[in-house]
Amino acid sequence: MGDLHDGSPVPAFEKDPLDLGVEDVYDISYVIGKDLLKINSDGQEVSALQFKIVRVLEMFEIMVSKYNLSLEELRMERDNLKVDLDRVVAGSHDNSNNIIGPDKLVIDMKDPNRPRFTMQELKEVLQERNQLKTQLLLAQEELQLYKSGVLPHLEPKMVEVDLETPFSLRTSPLSCPEENKEQKEEKTTIQKLFSFRRK
Amino acid sequence: MAKKTYDLLFKLLLIGDSGVGKTCVLFRFSDDAFNTTFISTIGIDFKIKTVELQGKKIKLQIWDTAGQERFHTITTSYYRGAMGIMLVYDISNAKSFENISKWLRNIDEHANEDVERMLLGNKCDMEDKRIVPKAKGEQIAREHGIRFFETSAKANINIEKAFLTLAEDILRKTPVKEPNSENVDISSGGGVTGWKTKCCS
Repeated sequence: MGDLHDGSPVPAFEKDPLDLGVEDVYDISYVIGKDLLKINSDGQEVSALQFKIVRVLEMFEIMVSKYNLSLEELRMERDNLKVDLDRVVAGSHDNSNNIIGPDKLVIDMKDPNRPRFTMQELKEVLQERNQLKTQLLLAQEELQLYKSGVLPHLEPKMVEVDLETPFSLRTSPLSCPEENKEQKEEKTTIQKLFSFRRK
Repeated sequence: MAKKTYDLLFKLLLIGDSGVGKTCVLFRFSDDAFNTTFISTIGIDFKIKTVELQGKKIKLQIWDTAGQERFHTITTSYYRGAMGIMLVYDISNAKSFENISKWLRNIDEHANEDVERMLLGNKCDMEDKRIVPKAKGEQIAREHGIRFFETSAKANINIEKAFLTLAEDILRKTPVKEPNSENVDISSGGGVTGWKTKCCS
């Protein structure tokens, strides 16, 4: 850079101002400095102008340097965001597949429609529903009988009811008499409203 | 003692592919109604209907199963207690007919050995959409030695007949216990005393 010859074109002058670096500012300063030396420097005015030019060049240097730094910062920030974005995109792609290996399902806990109950739980709910339905039907039947006068008065001994509704599940733990008793006690309040006796 | 509203309790079960009309067949029989909107049965449901056969009041508890494969474990656990099973297919759906053998195998695996079986080809009102000829239904029923009806829940064809025939077949097998017909305490055995001693002892 120090080899710039007199009169030779200085590339810095040809550059797009936004592409200028601090080095280019030094090149420009060097050329201007040499030109100033050629001018007869005895005059007071000339020396004042020299100081002003130096000051302007210093300001120019600061601006270019600052501009380049900001540019570099923005570039780095952009690259970081790009990396982050790629990671997020890759991650969400994995999630949307929802599958880790065969027969495995990842459940999105935020999905209100996610699967929640096991088949066994559904089975139990259906059993209880059907049991309650049986009791309701029996109660309705009995009520009908009282209304129609077939049953003259309320006796403490009510219609005996076979409550083993899930008739197919006699072998399941649900149907052992002991557990049934416990189960009954912790059963719904609806059940407690009925005086059906289990046979 | 309280008077009973029925003499015997029969437990029936409806099985078959999803959408063949099991629920509609049952709804026609129990409520004499029909609904065109398809609502898939969740797991298992039932209806009660009391009929009179040979002077006996017979309470039918009819279990309606979901045809969908995903409810298989729930529905098969209900086969065991059934005295009669209706296997329903859809005459406009070839697949439902092909699956008959699969359903029969399920019965063999999960139901009582002496369960009464019956085959129903439903939706017989839809003659223009028929794919399964009546003769094919009759043939497969004959091969397995079971009764067969073509039914329509929508047009109310053969629905009551099918249920009553199945109930009659079960009644025929039920040992008659008649020490004192006035005083039969069917409540104590849930109405199936005879049945129970026969098949569950």
